[in-house]
Amino acid sequence: MQNTKEVKTEFEPKILAFCCNWCAYAGADLAGVSRFQMPTDVRVIRVMCSGRVPPELIIRALANGLDGVMVLGCHPGECHYSEGNYLTRRRAHVLKRLLDYIGIEPERFQLRWVSAAEGAKFSAVVKETTDKIKALGPNRWVDKK
Amino acid sequence: MKATSEEVQARVKKLFKDGSIAHFIGYETGSDGLRVTPCFLKSGQAASRLVWNPLCANNLSKYLLDFKNVEGKVGIIVKGCDSRSVVELLKENQIDRDKVFIMGVPCSGIVDREKLLEVLGVSPGEVVAVEDDGDAFLVTLKKGKKRVDKEKVLRGECLVCKYPTPVVYDVLLGEAVSSLPWVGDDYKVIKEQEALSSEEKALYWNKELSRCIRCYACRNVCPVCTCPECIFDKKAPHWLTKANDISENLFYHLVRAFHVAGKCVDCGECERACPMNIPLRSLNKKVEKDLLELFDYTAGIDVEQQPPLTTFKVGDLDESL
Repeated sequence: MQNTKEVKTEFEPKILAFCCNWCAYAGADLAGVSRFQMPTDVRVIRVMCSGRVPPELIIRALANGLDGVMVLGCHPGECHYSEGNYLTRRRAHVLKRLLDYIGIEPERFQLRWVSAAEGAKFSAVVKETTDKIKALGPNRWVDKK
Repeated sequence: MKATSEEVQARVKKLFKDGSIAHFIGYETGSDGLRVTPCFLKSGQAASRLVWNPLCANNLSKYLLDFKNVEGKVGIIVKGCDSRSVVELLKENQIDRDKVFIMGVPCSGIVDREKLLEVLGVSPGEVVAVEDDGDAFLVTLKKGKKRVDKEKVLRGECLVCKYPTPVVYDVLLGEAVSSLPWVGDDYKVIKEQEALSSEEKALYWNKELSRCIRCYACRNVCPVCTCPECIFDKKAPHWLTKANDISENLFYHLVRAFHVAGKCVDCGECERACPMNIPLRSLNKKVEKDLLELFDYTAGIDVEQQPPLTTFKVGDLDESL
């Protein structure tokens, strides 16, 4: 039998998305049931709040060779726990600059606000991030010599 | 007038005599003429062992944690940077202000041992003493004396030090030093590094961090690393494996820089303790710079000031819309 499968040559990034249970995860669900088209490179991890995502998790993922990490939470002022996303926002500013300083492109880490009603925004954010990371290419920090 | 060893000794003797302190943490001469080592006293009798000179690099404030449950007051000698880490310990309620007697000494720069040996081209055994002499150090060798310009042999953090005089003390020996003449733009090196391309930065840091043997000396010596159980020692969750691997080194150093964010006072102990000469201060200094620019925060100045990453403002900068 002839193998008709085409060999994939295009870079398919591995992207991790931490979605907050109350907004972004529901937004992702809405994007799914609304049948919005989006790239399939994102792996979703549900967390109770974007404030639950410490820099350790993001750094661990990038150090392990993932190409990108997204943290998706409720819009500021709409956090289920009142202030979790505000604290994450402050940490994200510092982490982004630190990643840039050490030579990991800061675009590889994205913090975005997606509410439960924004299924379309979820798919748009996923598409935009995937495009950005595809343009950057694979995360090769650990192989630099 | 600069504080001298004799002044420190006399003061400590008096403090023990009045009963104001039960313990004292200071410096004494080390194994060669270029080393001083921490000295722990229980009475004024041995106070003559104490020294104060431009070799006193150790940040002794970390030892205050070991004296938490000891009866009586603990006296400690602090330079500008050390006093700022004491402020950070007070901020975190690690130590009780009433149980500590802080003897502040204004500092006009500490000698970098390696740099001095290189400039003089001698072995450590040949150096007898180092004294402060304005804009230079007066080095007494076995054969004669030599003046060495401070800027050539100062420790990295002293070259950018903005707080030479302690910010908190019970008694201050010698005259306060308001600023150091060689300090200009303290973030010059960081800005140069920031200007490089991602590729260059990755190459540089990969090379530097690949040397790390993860002895954790930087963590153990750090005065603001006070967690009884450290994330890097935990088995569940097992954040960091023991593998000799660059990704583990990257994780360790980035997370450490983040954990001391808002607490690091740039005392330079991590870099001094590092056996592999990794430029660790550079990472901490970068975070320090960002915190200053983003949240107008400088660590170790005011006990009442809240660390920037434990609080927030509704109107904070938002880059993620």
